[in-house]
Amino acid sequence: MEGTKLAYDLQQVSFAYEPEHPVLSDVTLSITSGSWVSLVGANGSGKSTLAKLLGGLLAVNAGKIIVEGTPLLRETASLIMPRIGMVFQNPDNQFIGATVEEDIAFGLEGQCLPRVEMVSRVQQYAEKLGIQHLLSKHPSELSGGQKQRVAVAAILAMEPAIIIFDEASSMLDEQARGELLHILRDMRSNGDYTMVSITHDAEEIMASDRVIVLRDGTVAADVDPDTLFSDDALLNSCRLIAPYHIRLIQELERRGIKVPPFPNADKEVEGTLWPLLFNK
Amino acid sequence: MAITFQQVSFAYDAKNLWRHGALEDIDLKINEGEFVAIAGASGSGKSTLLQHLNGILMPTTGKVQVFDVIMSAGEKTPKLTELRRRVGLVFQFPEHQLFEDTVEKDLCFGPLNFGSSKVEAKEQASKALSMVGLDDSFLERNPFHLSGGQMRKVAIATVLAMDPDVIVLDEPTATLDPQSRAELAELLYRLRRDQGKTVIVVTHRMEEMLPYVDQWIVMQDGRKTFQGSAAELTREALKLEASGLALPSCISYWNQIATRFGLEMEEPCLTVEALAERLERVLQVHDTAEGGGG
Repeated sequence: MEGTKLAYDLQQVSFAYEPEHPVLSDVTLSITSGSWVSLVGANGSGKSTLAKLLGGLLAVNAGKIIVEGTPLLRETASLIMPRIGMVFQNPDNQFIGATVEEDIAFGLEGQCLPRVEMVSRVQQYAEKLGIQHLLSKHPSELSGGQKQRVAVAAILAMEPAIIIFDEASSMLDEQARGELLHILRDMRSNGDYTMVSITHDAEEIMASDRVIVLRDGTVAADVDPDTLFSDDALLNSCRLIAPYHIRLIQELERRGIKVPPFPNADKEVEGTLWPLLFNK
Repeated sequence: MAITFQQVSFAYDAKNLWRHGALEDIDLKINEGEFVAIAGASGSGKSTLLQHLNGILMPTTGKVQVFDVIMSAGEKTPKLTELRRRVGLVFQFPEHQLFEDTVEKDLCFGPLNFGSSKVEAKEQASKALSMVGLDDSFLERNPFHLSGGQMRKVAIATVLAMDPDVIVLDEPTATLDPQSRAELAELLYRLRRDQGKTVIVVTHRMEEMLPYVDQWIVMQDGRKTFQGSAAELTREALKLEASGLALPSCISYWNQIATRFGLEMEEPCLTVEALAERLERVLQVHDTAEGGGG
């Protein structure tokens, strides 16, 4: 069927670093092209390991990973890997160049692109992520949020179809986290990317299309974000906490105060509680 | 007074002509048994400040006093062994702090170094591990085969195992799942309440620490721009936000509701329970007033 192409098709995937401590067992799932999937779970549930398998950084012990219709194997890895980009947790460990410009160009050099094409890609993606003014800067001159922005630009410049974010926002301050979320939203609405995000961040999960919950190395649930955050038992099992405005609405409802639904519920009181409080 | 900073400045490149100060003119007092949180954007000097607390860094100008140890710019470095037992530091990257091949050896390293017997050290190891919510089955594991979050918990436990008087944590909750983060905040609060520990924590997630913290310090560009209680922080929210600090939802919710209903002079309700309870009362008053009037 056209329009339901799969970016990933995982069949009974298992993995262990040490045989006596299996990390993933029998994981079967598929991810549609162009969708944004959050991968959540408690510490030690296997999220980062799954991310590394999806990114081709680790090989399965058993089972199969099929990327855009091609099985991910030693022989096919060189074809598949350019289709996948990864953004990691610590912005400082992802910098290679002495300037932002060099850093974005590094991956393109690896792809052996002609110089003209490289220059134009650097410009194009710097513009897209609003970092043109940073191109000549040394990484030490950048804030954490700016560094993650550069890391995303460097990945996007290689024009992958699939991007994996492995807790990319977890080390950022409040402000920078907001900026990264904005970028993810833009990428989603543009529709060119399949995004897999390993995250504990409630707002980031809310913004995605679908949540896969891992528990002890298996898929415990596969739901949409609203379902996840209204299911206390499920939230507890993956050790998540709902965003503040959702918890507040739940607490008010426990006290018999009905909060009318409002489309723009978020950080601002006006959004969530306007009908209840401000029309009084 | 456990800790005082007097006009402390620090520059990593102090002798350079283009000197760039990481800390500028910091005055600070922290009492024994206080829970202090430090907020501020990345690069604002938070980690540099922490590293003055047990003599990893010495001030370029000014004076730092921690218990009876005085570290003054230009003077000979005092003996730091005892200070380093009393002030335990958990760094930002747990993997940098672990080095043994089992969790137990890592946990015993500190206590053994500071004179505990083998039996005592093992006891302290197991106790510290249970404090961070990991059971004894982790003792034999290789710390480098644990997940990022578990590694961080072990790193925190290695410091707790030394039973320090002051526990200093640099952004301890990044990489932990949200419930583990809430549990850690609670653990720190209990250590302060039940054992009188002084707790100093750098955090990007202010909401988690808000219910427990006695004093907030806000850093910006190497300077201290705020020191005070959560209530004072809430009242100064607009000013702090204008200077680039992102504040958590619970503060902006309270401030908007306080403005709407004239509650500015009250103690802010910063948890969902407290806020819901307060809103319930506000709405009852309103409904009664409306009923009476019309």
